[in-house]
Amino acid sequence: MSEARHNAWGRQWALGALVFLGGFEVMVLEIVGARFLQPFFGGSFYIWTSQIGVVMLALALGYAVGGRLADRWQQARPLGMMLIPAGIFILLIPNFAGGMLDAIMERYAVATPIEVSADGGGQPASELIGELPADVLEGTDSGAPSEAPTEPAPEDAWTEVPPFWKKMAPALGSAVVFLLPCFVLAMISPYIIRLATQQVEKVGTLSGTVYAASTVGSIAGVFITAYVLLDHYSNTTLFRATGWLTFGLTGLCFALDLLWPESSKNESDSAE
Amino acid sequence: MAGIFQKRIGFSGVVLLLALAWSVQGQVRLRTSSAYNQITVEDTGGYRLLRFNGSMETRMWLPNPLFGHFEYTEYFQMPLIFNPKPQRMLLMGLGGGSTVRAFQHYYPDIHLDTVELDPKVAQVAKQFFHVKETPKHKIHFSDGRQFLRLNKTRKYDAILMDAYTSNQFGTHIPFHLATKEFFGLAAEDLTEEGVLVFNVIGTYDDWRSDIVGSMYQTLKSVFPNVYHFQASDTRNIVMLAVKSKEPLTSTTLKNKVAALRSARPKLPKFFGPRVARIRAQAPKSAANAGVLTDDFAPPGGLLKSKKR
Repeated sequence: MSEARHNAWGRQWALGALVFLGGFEVMVLEIVGARFLQPFFGGSFYIWTSQIGVVMLALALGYAVGGRLADRWQQARPLGMMLIPAGIFILLIPNFAGGMLDAIMERYAVATPIEVSADGGGQPASELIGELPADVLEGTDSGAPSEAPTEPAPEDAWTEVPPFWKKMAPALGSAVVFLLPCFVLAMISPYIIRLATQQVEKVGTLSGTVYAASTVGSIAGVFITAYVLLDHYSNTTLFRATGWLTFGLTGLCFALDLLWPESSKNESDSAE
Repeated sequence: MAGIFQKRIGFSGVVLLLALAWSVQGQVRLRTSSAYNQITVEDTGGYRLLRFNGSMETRMWLPNPLFGHFEYTEYFQMPLIFNPKPQRMLLMGLGGGSTVRAFQHYYPDIHLDTVELDPKVAQVAKQFFHVKETPKHKIHFSDGRQFLRLNKTRKYDAILMDAYTSNQFGTHIPFHLATKEFFGLAAEDLTEEGVLVFNVIGTYDDWRSDIVGSMYQTLKSVFPNVYHFQASDTRNIVMLAVKSKEPLTSTTLKNKVAALRSARPKLPKFFGPRVARIRAQAPKSAANAGVLTDDFAPPGGLLKSKKR
C-alpha cells in the first residue's frame, strides 16, 4: 500500500516536471531565438512577430498530434524517443542554423534599379539650406567645388529585400530553426494528460493542472531567459543546455515507464 | 549597484519632467506613429525638436537649420582628416537628419547613402527637417546590417553609425549593429583607408561607462586604431575606428589637418575645435570590458564589464 502510494507520488512529480520543463524549454527557445535571428533579419519587430507566430503554430500542431499519439501508444517511452531527435536538433542549432538563415536572407534579396527622385520624392524641397545668406553661415560657403561632376555617375543596381520578404523571410527563418523542436515539445502536455488520466470525472481538474504547470514553466522560461540567462551565457551555451535538458526529459519518460509504471493506476484507483 | 539604479531613475525622471515641461510650452507640429516609433515634432523657443518614444533625437535651430544640432553629429565629419576627398559615405540612422544637412551643405561633392529602418522617419525628416533626396543622397529603407550584408559592389570611405532604438527610458544600441561580426562586415565594405564612426551614448567614468568600454574593445578587435571624441554638450562619445594600421601621432595629425585645409579651404568653423578633442588612449572602462559578439551581447546593459 505505501509502496503503491510512493509510486503514485513519484509518477505525479515526474509527469509534472515533464510538463513544466517542456513549457520552459519552448520559451527559452523563443526568447533566445529572437536574439539569434536578429543578426540575420535585422532588428525589426517582424522578428518578434515571427517567433511568436511560429511558436504558436508549433504548439497547435504539437497539441493536435501529441494527443492523438498518446491515445495510440498510452506509454511514456515513445514520447521520450521523439524527444531525442528534438534534443539533437536543438543541440546543433548553433552549428547548422547560421548557414541556412544566411541563405534565406540572400534568397529573397533582389536587385533594384537606381531611382533617385531628384525632386525629393514628392516632398516639398527644402529651399532653406541652398538659399541661406553666406554671413549666417559663419564664413562657410555653400558653393559646390568647381571640380564636382555635373552629371550623376552611372551606377549598379542596389540589392534590397522587397517589403513582402522583409516580413516573410524572418518567419521562414524562424520556422526552419524553431518549428520542429517546439512542435515535439508541445506534444508533451496532451500526452501527459492522457497518461495521467485515471478517472473521466477528474479530467477537467487534471487537464487544468497540466495546462497551468506547462504555462507556469513557460512564464519561468520567458523571464529567466530574458532577465538572467542572456546576461550571463552565450546563445550557443543556451542552445546546448536546452538540447541536453531535452535528453533529460527523455530520461524522465523512460523513468516513468520503468520506475513508476502505470500499473499503480489500478491500485490507486481502488485506494480512492 | 543601487547607486547606478537610483541615478538611472533620477536621470529618466528628469528627462520625463523636462519632456513634460517642453510639451506644455512647445507647439506640437506632428504626432504620429509608425511600426517602430512614436514620432513627435515640436517647435519650442526657436528650436525644432524630434522625439522618438519620448527621447529627443534631433534639435534644430529654426532660423538656420545648420545650427542647433547636437555637437556629437559634428564628429561624423572627422573621417575627412584621413581622406579629404572621400567619394562615398554611408550613414546608418537618419533621425532628424543633422548629419545629412551638414554634409549636403558643407560637402556637397560627397556621395551619401543613408540607411533608415523606418520609412516614416524619412518622411518626417524630409517634411520638417530639410532633408533632401538628391542624385548624391539616397535613403534606403533597410536594417543596417542587412544593407551591409547585401552590399557586394560598393565600397565606402566612411561608415557613420547613429542607429538607435529608443523608448521613454532612453536610447539603446541594437546589439546586432555593435558586435565584432558586424564591424567585420563593415570593415569589408570600407576602402583601404576607410573609417567607421560610432556614436556611443555614455561617459568615460560614470553613466554607461561599461558600454563605452565594451564598444571600444569591440571596435579594437576589428580595427587597428580607434580614436574617440567626447561631446561637450551631451553625454556622447564618438568613436573613430580606422582601418589604416599606421597610428596617428601629433605630427601626422597636424599634417593631415593641414592637407585637409588646403583641399577644403572652406571647412566649417567648428571643425578645428572638434579635431582638438581627439583622444587616442583607451577609455578607463575598457580595461575590464569584454568584446561584444553575435553569440554573446548581454541585453541587460550591453556588456556589464565582464571579461570573457
